[in-house]
Amino acid sequence: MADKMKVKITVNGTLYEREVEPRLLLSDFIRHDLGLTGTHVGCEHGLCGACTVLMNGEAVRSCILFTVMADGADIKTVESLGTMEKMHPIQEAFQEKHALQCGFCTPGFLMTTVEYLGKNPNPTAEEAREAIDGNFCRCTGYENIVEAVQLAAKKMAAHEQ
Amino acid sequence: MKIEGEHLFNGPRQDVWDMIQDPVVLASAVPGMDKLDKVSETEYQGKMNIRIGPVSGAFDGKLTMQNPVPPESTTLLVEGKGAPGFVKGAGNAQFIEQGPEQTVLKYDADLSIGGTLASVGQRMIDSVAKSMMRTAFETLDAALAARLAAKAAGKATEEVEYKQASESDYAKAVAKDAMGGLTSSAEGKLVIYIIPMIVVVIVLAVLLSRCSG
Amino acid sequence: MTESLISKSIKRNEDPRLLTGNSTFIDDIEFPGMLHVAIKRSDYAHGVIKSIDTSEAKKIPGVVAIYTAEDLGDYWKAGPLQVPPPTAIPGAIFHARPLECIAKNKIRFSGEPIAVVVAESRYIAEDALDYIYLDVEMLDYVGDLEKAVEPGSALVHEDLGSNLAADVVQEVGNYEKAAAEADVVIKKRIVTTHVAGGAIENRGFVAQWDDNMKILNCWATTQGPIPMRNSIARYLGLMENQIRMINPSIGGGFGPKIMSSQIDDVIIPWIAMKLKKPIKWFEDRRENFLGTTSERDQVHYAEIALKNDGTILGVKDVFYHNTGAYDPYGMTIPLNTQTHVISNYKVPNYYTEIKMVFTNQMVVTPVRGAGRSHGIFVMERLLDAAAKKLGMDPVELRRKNLLPPEAFPFKTGVTGQDFVENILDSGNYPMALEKTVQALEYDKFKKEIQPKLRAEGKHKGIGIIMFTEGTAVGPYEGAKVMVGVTGKVNVVCAYSNQGQGHYTTLAQICASQLGVKVTDINVVIGDTGQFQWGVGAFASRGITLVGTAVHQASLKVREKALELGSKLLNTPKEELELEDGCIRIADLPEKSISLGELAMKANPTRGTVEEGMEPGLEAAAYYGPPHGATGFGCLGMIIDVDAETCKPKIERLVLTDDCGTPINPMIVDGQLHGGLQMGIGESFYEKLVYDEYGQMVTASYMDYLFPQASDMPAKMEIKHSVTPSPLNPLGVKGIGEAGAICVPACFMQALEDALYENDLDIVESSLNPSMLFHYVQKAKSA
Repeated sequence: MADKMKVKITVNGTLYEREVEPRLLLSDFIRHDLGLTGTHVGCEHGLCGACTVLMNGEAVRSCILFTVMADGADIKTVESLGTMEKMHPIQEAFQEKHALQCGFCTPGFLMTTVEYLGKNPNPTAEEAREAIDGNFCRCTGYENIVEAVQLAAKKMAAHEQ
Repeated sequence: MKIEGEHLFNGPRQDVWDMIQDPVVLASAVPGMDKLDKVSETEYQGKMNIRIGPVSGAFDGKLTMQNPVPPESTTLLVEGKGAPGFVKGAGNAQFIEQGPEQTVLKYDADLSIGGTLASVGQRMIDSVAKSMMRTAFETLDAALAARLAAKAAGKATEEVEYKQASESDYAKAVAKDAMGGLTSSAEGKLVIYIIPMIVVVIVLAVLLSRCSG
Repeated sequence: MTESLISKSIKRNEDPRLLTGNSTFIDDIEFPGMLHVAIKRSDYAHGVIKSIDTSEAKKIPGVVAIYTAEDLGDYWKAGPLQVPPPTAIPGAIFHARPLECIAKNKIRFSGEPIAVVVAESRYIAEDALDYIYLDVEMLDYVGDLEKAVEPGSALVHEDLGSNLAADVVQEVGNYEKAAAEADVVIKKRIVTTHVAGGAIENRGFVAQWDDNMKILNCWATTQGPIPMRNSIARYLGLMENQIRMINPSIGGGFGPKIMSSQIDDVIIPWIAMKLKKPIKWFEDRRENFLGTTSERDQVHYAEIALKNDGTILGVKDVFYHNTGAYDPYGMTIPLNTQTHVISNYKVPNYYTEIKMVFTNQMVVTPVRGAGRSHGIFVMERLLDAAAKKLGMDPVELRRKNLLPPEAFPFKTGVTGQDFVENILDSGNYPMALEKTVQALEYDKFKKEIQPKLRAEGKHKGIGIIMFTEGTAVGPYEGAKVMVGVTGKVNVVCAYSNQGQGHYTTLAQICASQLGVKVTDINVVIGDTGQFQWGVGAFASRGITLVGTAVHQASLKVREKALELGSKLLNTPKEELELEDGCIRIADLPEKSISLGELAMKANPTRGTVEEGMEPGLEAAAYYGPPHGATGFGCLGMIIDVDAETCKPKIERLVLTDDCGTPINPMIVDGQLHGGLQMGIGESFYEKLVYDEYGQMVTASYMDYLFPQASDMPAKMEIKHSVTPSPLNPLGVKGIGEAGAICVPACFMQALEDALYENDLDIVESSLNPSMLFHYVQKAKSA
């Protein structure tokens, strides 16, 4: 077995210094080493997007990144958004539009949306659809997710005013 | 998987036949072949590393010549297995003289492939197989030329050194064949959907090879 | 008057925890000292095991144990049949070959488990898989349904002497006579395609044995916690209440998660007891494709006999059904096909025969749609062919033959998956058809728009098909309603939830009787420690069966609360009301007593009680319908096809659906959206493919194509009609499968209409651009 490597990774504002195997996937590090189980793993080959987190502000697939590749990075997971009592506007929008059913893929959609609305705060339906095209959902048929992304944009704009 | 084709060797039939009896030559012809031992007159045993798309790993293989009719024909039984799956099958090789200086090899094989190789690597198998064949024949052509030159110079063929195809040459060949396969077919128009997937496969292959390495 | 919350689109109770990462899914469960399991699966599709060598794998540091079938000793046995054979049908032949969860002497499909590795981490367990060596004498692969039953085929189960697993004939009237008298008889070979359930969360199992208390705690992604618990109890010789089976949050089900007595629930509890350690297994994606059940693979030889005016005289359907390597799930799927072929139309003569076939493929169990979509596909394809042959408009042909509203309840004469005669409880099919026809402006499209488009060289086609959705079959479900001392209410059942919204809909049903807020109702689903009886989430039966049980239990609790309130408030029951979490006098609302206080009083701690008194504001109820309730609808689509690339785009999609009373219309629409997505997936993206040696070659999301957001129409136009079911007090029917059932038939009709110049005859439920291209080429060269 390969020697362990030291990493320093900031996750949701907390700095973690850990020794990890070089082959440890970032998704497993987040879920099992840190216990942040809101990030889910659906396909383990970078296609479904359930494991999407933000790495230095960019949406990435944590199931095809090694933890050591995130050394020094700033990671944000779904736990960085709202709480059950006070949800983030994107989370509120997903609830209001019924944009989740089983909820397994949802954290990935939320993190993708966080990144996307940062770049395009006022998307059309077509743009919103394209933005989530890389995330798989088996339950919803996507229509309500598209609407939720647009509603979230409106809510966030109202928040900022 | 069914494979068939032919290849023209620039050399007399007996020399071609002698060459393929030499495990060192055979080993050098197969990309990823670590070693090949002749365990009896008709049996070879070897180890090779296979990489097909995202699937890679070591294979233990056995090659048996059945009913060899030197220097005309032979049947080859192939059996290999390892972590990425298995290959099993039979092939026929026929060496036909085309004048005194040239030999045509006609071959056909029926291979059954299983495990991760099949379930994940399937999309790439045809291209990989094609590339392996081409790389193998290029190497064999060079080997044959070297052996004939050595013979002309009065040296023993054992003294000839054979160069194995490099991993990167082989990877290039695979990529080229993969593209060729796409554009020539009726589905060529779908290439636009498939290219991004191939990129994903290549990225995964790199990741996985690091993972296992 | 307590406010009814039925048919209100209420936000879901479960969403905040799912949205914030506070739900516990199976792979989120961790215990100190937990060991991890990885399963070694066969690379071979069919063969005799010569040896399995685990010695090298056992030497890997961190590997705790490895078990093969041999290592299980007497514990190894074939599982029970999860669904009994259809003995209710006269003459039915069924050969039971229940699942052998880990291969012992013979391998029957590629992906079949052969060894289980237990290790300190999942990484190490997976490392060890590469060092387990299986030596097999390969046998010929059995994969072609028709060739499999011909003499000389290799045999999946040698002792049977044939690969025919079952043969079931049902006939209403006399088809041959009808065909002889018909003006037109059309015969077709129609194929439905193998697809996966494809939940984004794979399957998983966690077991923890408490050796002091002798209690086995299990968590599983199962759709049927009670049957799974009972299977484990039988295997391990434990009492049911020594096993607590809990459903964590489940990331989608879609059918395959119903299966129990498989490698996970048979072996993992056994290992947990043996090693006295918590054990976890979580399937990976490739394993899910290889090892988790799937379905839809049928080959139909179908016929329709009609009069020249379009009147259907009879239908015949003889079909081969692929059941995979074993048949633990009985005949649910093909029986659904038998009932659904004719369920929209007046078909006086119907002959249907199932030939169920063993193959060297994964076991087949229902996937959302479960045989219904196949039946609908066959019938609608026959009608499309008939319309062409008779020169009739396809909508007109359907209109002519639909069962009229006054026909209900309609006895079809065919026995269904619940082993009783399929009776269509209620319906108004013409209404559904006309709603969709109007929304799509069908006549205008056909007569004005399409001719213009065709003149411009465009290929835009329309499809309209009818479907039924047999739902809510028995035997039964149950639930318990309990008011707590805080005034909040617990609703508990041993059903299973994979995202259907039961935490909200069941609360709506209960709140409508008890006058509490939906958010004050805590719904517990799938915890056998809290409720002991139930069957499972299949056949779109949750809201009808569990919902009715909750409704009835809530009524009992309401009655109990009113009785007690009447005594405490010294007022006749009739003058009381339940509102805002209180019982109060309707005319004197300030005179009230809270439900919490009432719950305290319902559990006296000193003194005496009346004879026959039952403590607590609590009641359980059980509900089992005499037969299923049948939803229905009409789907229409306009599809624009790029004739050069054969890439279709769904321009409009209008679905009129009737599922009786909707409990939460928002959730109903969500179910339809998801179902439609799976239907679109089946029609043009998804396909499980085995190669000629029985290797599944679509075992990743790179090869098994999932519909993505851009593959879906911009808007799914959903219309409703409400024909309440007379079978239950709420008038509800199931909704889970409607969307998945109806798409392929409509999609193919629209494609044929779009590519009208080629006069296509599409006989497969699943295409892709290249297959469609070949269809066009074939038609052109013909």
